[in-house]
Amino acid sequence: MNQANSTAHPVEGTPPSSSVLSKSRLRALRRWTDHGARGVITLGGWATIFSIFGIFAYLFIEVAPLFYPASWSQKTTVEIDTSDEARQNPRNVAVGINEYMEVGYVLGGRGMAFYTFPTGSPIHLESMPDFEEGDVTALARSPGKDDVYGLGTRVGRVIPLYVTFRVTFEDGVRTTEPVVTAGEPFEAVPTGDPIARLAYRETDSGPIAAALTGSGRLFLTKMQESEAEGLFALEKESELLRTEIIDEGVEALSVLLLDDLGETLLGGTTDGRLLYWDIEDVQNPRLMGMYSAGTSITALSYLIGDRSIVVGTEKGTVSVWMSVINPDVGGDPRLQKIRDLASHDGAVTAVSPSLRDKGFLTADASGSVAVHHSTSSQTLIRIPGNGTAILAAMFAPKTDGALVLDGSGRLITYDIENEHPESTFSSLFLPVLYEGYEELLHIWQSTGGSDAFEPKFGLWPIMFGTLKGTIYAMLLATPLAVLGAIYTAMFMHPNIRAVVKPVVEIMEALPTVVLGFLAGLWFAPLLEKIFPAVVAMFLLIPLAVVVVCVGWQLLPSRLKGTSGNVTELAVFLLVLAGTVWLCLQLNHQIESWLFNSNYKGWLQATFGLAYDQRNALVIAFAMGMAVIPTIFSISEDSLSNVPPHLIAGSLALGATPWQTLTKLVIISASPGLFSALMIGLGRVVGETMIVLMATGNTPVMDMNLFNGFRTLSANIAVEMPEAPHGGTLYRLLFLAGLLLFVFTSIVNTLAEIVRQRLRARYSQF
Amino acid sequence: MPDKIKKFLSSGTLFVWFCGTAVAASLLMVGGVLLLIMINGLGFFWPHALMELTLRDGTRVLGELKGEEVIPHSETPEFPEGKTRVRLKVGNRDLYGLDFRWVDTDQIALADSPKDVAAFERREWGNFYGRIREIAKGEDVVATGNQEGWKALQPLIEWANDLHDEIEHLQRDVIGDINFDIEETRLRIRELELRAQRESPEVAELQAVTRQLEAHYQKHVATLRALSRQLDEYSVLLVETNGREKRLPVGQIVKALRPNDMGLFEKILRYFMNFWSVLSEEPREANTEGGIFPAIFGTVMMVLIMSVAVVPFGVLAAFYLREYARQGLIVRVIRIAVNNLAGVPSIVFGVFGLGFFVYAVGGTIDTLFYPEALPTPTFGTGGILWASFTLALLTVPVVIVSTEEGLSAVPREYREGSLALGATKFESMLRVILPCALPGILTGLILAVARATGEVAPLMLTGVVKLAPALPLDHHFPFLHFERKFMHLGFHIFDVGFQSPNVEAAKPMVYVTTLILVMVVIVLNLSAVAIRNHMRKKFKASAV
Repeated sequence: MNQANSTAHPVEGTPPSSSVLSKSRLRALRRWTDHGARGVITLGGWATIFSIFGIFAYLFIEVAPLFYPASWSQKTTVEIDTSDEARQNPRNVAVGINEYMEVGYVLGGRGMAFYTFPTGSPIHLESMPDFEEGDVTALARSPGKDDVYGLGTRVGRVIPLYVTFRVTFEDGVRTTEPVVTAGEPFEAVPTGDPIARLAYRETDSGPIAAALTGSGRLFLTKMQESEAEGLFALEKESELLRTEIIDEGVEALSVLLLDDLGETLLGGTTDGRLLYWDIEDVQNPRLMGMYSAGTSITALSYLIGDRSIVVGTEKGTVSVWMSVINPDVGGDPRLQKIRDLASHDGAVTAVSPSLRDKGFLTADASGSVAVHHSTSSQTLIRIPGNGTAILAAMFAPKTDGALVLDGSGRLITYDIENEHPESTFSSLFLPVLYEGYEELLHIWQSTGGSDAFEPKFGLWPIMFGTLKGTIYAMLLATPLAVLGAIYTAMFMHPNIRAVVKPVVEIMEALPTVVLGFLAGLWFAPLLEKIFPAVVAMFLLIPLAVVVVCVGWQLLPSRLKGTSGNVTELAVFLLVLAGTVWLCLQLNHQIESWLFNSNYKGWLQATFGLAYDQRNALVIAFAMGMAVIPTIFSISEDSLSNVPPHLIAGSLALGATPWQTLTKLVIISASPGLFSALMIGLGRVVGETMIVLMATGNTPVMDMNLFNGFRTLSANIAVEMPEAPHGGTLYRLLFLAGLLLFVFTSIVNTLAEIVRQRLRARYSQF
Repeated sequence: MPDKIKKFLSSGTLFVWFCGTAVAASLLMVGGVLLLIMINGLGFFWPHALMELTLRDGTRVLGELKGEEVIPHSETPEFPEGKTRVRLKVGNRDLYGLDFRWVDTDQIALADSPKDVAAFERREWGNFYGRIREIAKGEDVVATGNQEGWKALQPLIEWANDLHDEIEHLQRDVIGDINFDIEETRLRIRELELRAQRESPEVAELQAVTRQLEAHYQKHVATLRALSRQLDEYSVLLVETNGREKRLPVGQIVKALRPNDMGLFEKILRYFMNFWSVLSEEPREANTEGGIFPAIFGTVMMVLIMSVAVVPFGVLAAFYLREYARQGLIVRVIRIAVNNLAGVPSIVFGVFGLGFFVYAVGGTIDTLFYPEALPTPTFGTGGILWASFTLALLTVPVVIVSTEEGLSAVPREYREGSLALGATKFESMLRVILPCALPGILTGLILAVARATGEVAPLMLTGVVKLAPALPLDHHFPFLHFERKFMHLGFHIFDVGFQSPNVEAAKPMVYVTTLILVMVVIVLNLSAVAIRNHMRKKFKASAV
């Protein structure tokens, strides 16, 4: 638009040379200038107006992806040669893919093969460790950032296997080269029997394995690694701890799972039971519980963070379990099913957890693949199968794809578009059962210490905080502002009004950061000291006004002067200041009279309310102060715009000023008062700095006047600088902004329509 | 009698009194807040007297008296009023750990304000209160004793401050320039590399330039070290009131005052000098001391850029709505939209600015024009331009509404007269209506500026920082650096008051910043009101 503007200027500069032009050409030029200017101004006007709607549209565009459904597409299919053995024993196969989805592999009993994607061409590795090819009878992935496997052999040993991807850059081109190394094997089954089922996990204190033999014996083995100070350096010592677990149900085990601390062993049985052992003391495992999952359990996996357990069954059901501590029963944790997700048509054959969130991928015997998310309880993607069972599946490290191996030897990669699995309407606005909690709760806690943290995106606590702040601030501001406006408009002498109104309006110009600073650093600590006095003020000021008012009536009118003059205002100020001063002086006495000498204790004992220094009462005062001038100014305008001849008529008909006020003026001006309140409300709802500085910003949900809260606006200010661009938190904060935008728009539109109506009505008089 | 009461109640006088009290309460609140800011802000510059208290246990406390209060829950039968205590700013943070100390009044044996104690304003650790024991040059003692030392110290401080300025100049201007050139050269080389011209002779040339610049850099750094050593040559041994010593290089002292020895005139002079140094100096000690010059500068720059952006948009829109558009449903809807925009919370504008200006527009500019600097963003991060644009959006309704008001105040006769004389619509707009509406536009602009000056929330997302390394305006081409981050008075209040490690010690600084901000905002608003009143009066007179 600036450009358009500047083109208009040269034209405007032409008139001096107009003498050269003929009259008609001049006229044409002037006409064109006029048209041009009209065009430019119209364009400029529309551009401004367009940009207003553009803001709304942009906020909406940023928010929309939160609710986009996930999508998938099949990318590469490679036919590979799988042995019959793999098909018979799918527990013996694993697949994996690197984070850029460039290199994938198939690990099986007979060896290992790497492929480049998306071309599907095999990679030949120079060196491959000897892992007793053909002798591997069971393999287990140790979940985590790296690809670590335990290979169980025919002679009861476990070989750790590490797959890493070495990335090199040359001329800005990335090349990925897989490297496979094997660790020190150890004996997991002392009898030397083949391992049929294996769970393997690398913990900080050494690897741990749970191995089930074909004859149904379960052995738990831990390589306890400790660092001992040797003669010259730290020497690694390792000690092999082993126990056989002999509990009922062991022989029916079909899947095993270990947690990352090596403290929990889980097992699923063919008769549908979930077994839960505490193995903190490896040599003394305790069976903590046995839970029914219905039918035969075919897959078990932890989600990231190792708190939620995904259980897949033969019937295709997928459920998430969690260990909870029941306060009624006592200290021991127990497992509880917290949610069911969409079922598969066939038995669940593989579960692969996401490495970044609480999502996971499941595959089944009918060949279909699904992606679920635990926190939001939703199944995001269902890829239909072709009837061929899936042997192994892996959710790509960046959750943007999957690698799947099916029974007919096809290795398939999928691209998955799944940006915001955490957000659904219900996960944002309805209570959710989060990890480590006992009940459905509304919680906002967007970031945590580690990757394994489960983000809690319940918006309700913040919306609640917004409402809380708004309600308290409006409760304080409305009476002061509206009553003040009534007095100023109706009873005050015009000369005083000409001073008072601008003074109150100056308050409107006061930056809210100043009010926030004063509220947080001056008023909050002060209020903590003088709280009893403030309570007394609310009681005593009305009383004082009544007493002085009655007394004032008894004074001879010679002293009083006309109503609404300076003397009267001075009396109000004196009464007010005097009462405030008195209350402050009597602070301690009041505390002992009303609150038993300790108001905090009294509040706690009488109402069970805790008193925080930065609380809603402080906010009510500060935000009230920010909004009083707005409400005052608009109310005063609408009251004094009531046509004077109506008032004069009412007074002439014998009504007292009071009757005129209540029966005529307030009623006529009520739409104006309404719009004043609406505009004030809009201002309070979005106020940021005061709330940011004068509350604790804790997203708690209670209406306690004496503790803090967090509002939508403060939440944006606190979290936006840390939110990664395009992430779920970023978009959720945009959603918070959009909510504010929509709410204030509704409120303001309402106010504006009412005001325009009012204006139209009075223009008739 | 009951009749009288009934009459009194129905007369509504009581209600009127409540209304009046509400006005009084509002006035009291405004007055109270302004008074609070004034007292705390203006009191900051005054050289406060130093009190030396001797306590009953024989120890002494030296510092500025900062208030007195009744100790909570200290009422006893003997003291029904409760005991009192005083609060002193004792400084010497490096020795005591805390800047403030409470002393129970009944512990004080003797209160005195000796003339020979001094307050030393230091570059680090805040103020030191005490006396001088000796001044040394290296190992040699130059002056001993408080009196002699004080006399010797004054010229030394002056000398050290000069030297400090020189070091500052070298560091910021000379070395800063070299660093700037090195960075520019690096980017130029990277740019050539990106264009696959790694082998071109220009690259070699530039690399040679870099080496040369680095050599220069080393040379200046050596000079800098020499100067710093020189600065540390003189040291002063200070002693606090209980006899603990602290040796300090003279270069660490910014100024030394003996407030108890100063006359009223001297104090007034010092008051204004302090005021000026706060306005003109750079901040120190995580913004809690020194001045607020960069924040003032940043605020002014941002507001200027914003004005340039907001006026054309606002004025064009107002002219369109008032003069060109056919009044009807659409204009009504647009008016409502404009009013809505005025009511949208400022943080929402911040969110929009971050998403649209910073990430979308800025990110695009970076990939198109600054690929050599990537992945370090140039415009793809918060900066003064984006902050100004965001505030321009925020304040555009203010300008529209004010301009419209200005336009509606222009009497119809003017328009009709101009058109009747044969002017086209645009000509009468430009020559007649615009000059008449100018006060309205100006009012709008001033109100917009006042609003932008006090707004903080959107800036926090679009480019304000607690400490900007460089001003957005300097002598490097292209002089105005729109992409730079900046400091802002309002954010300074938030940051120093709520993010600094020692909030209690930072409070005076916050009050001063608040005072300056509030003064600016109020002056702007009052001038807008004055212009508007003047305009109304003028047209009222001419309309008759």
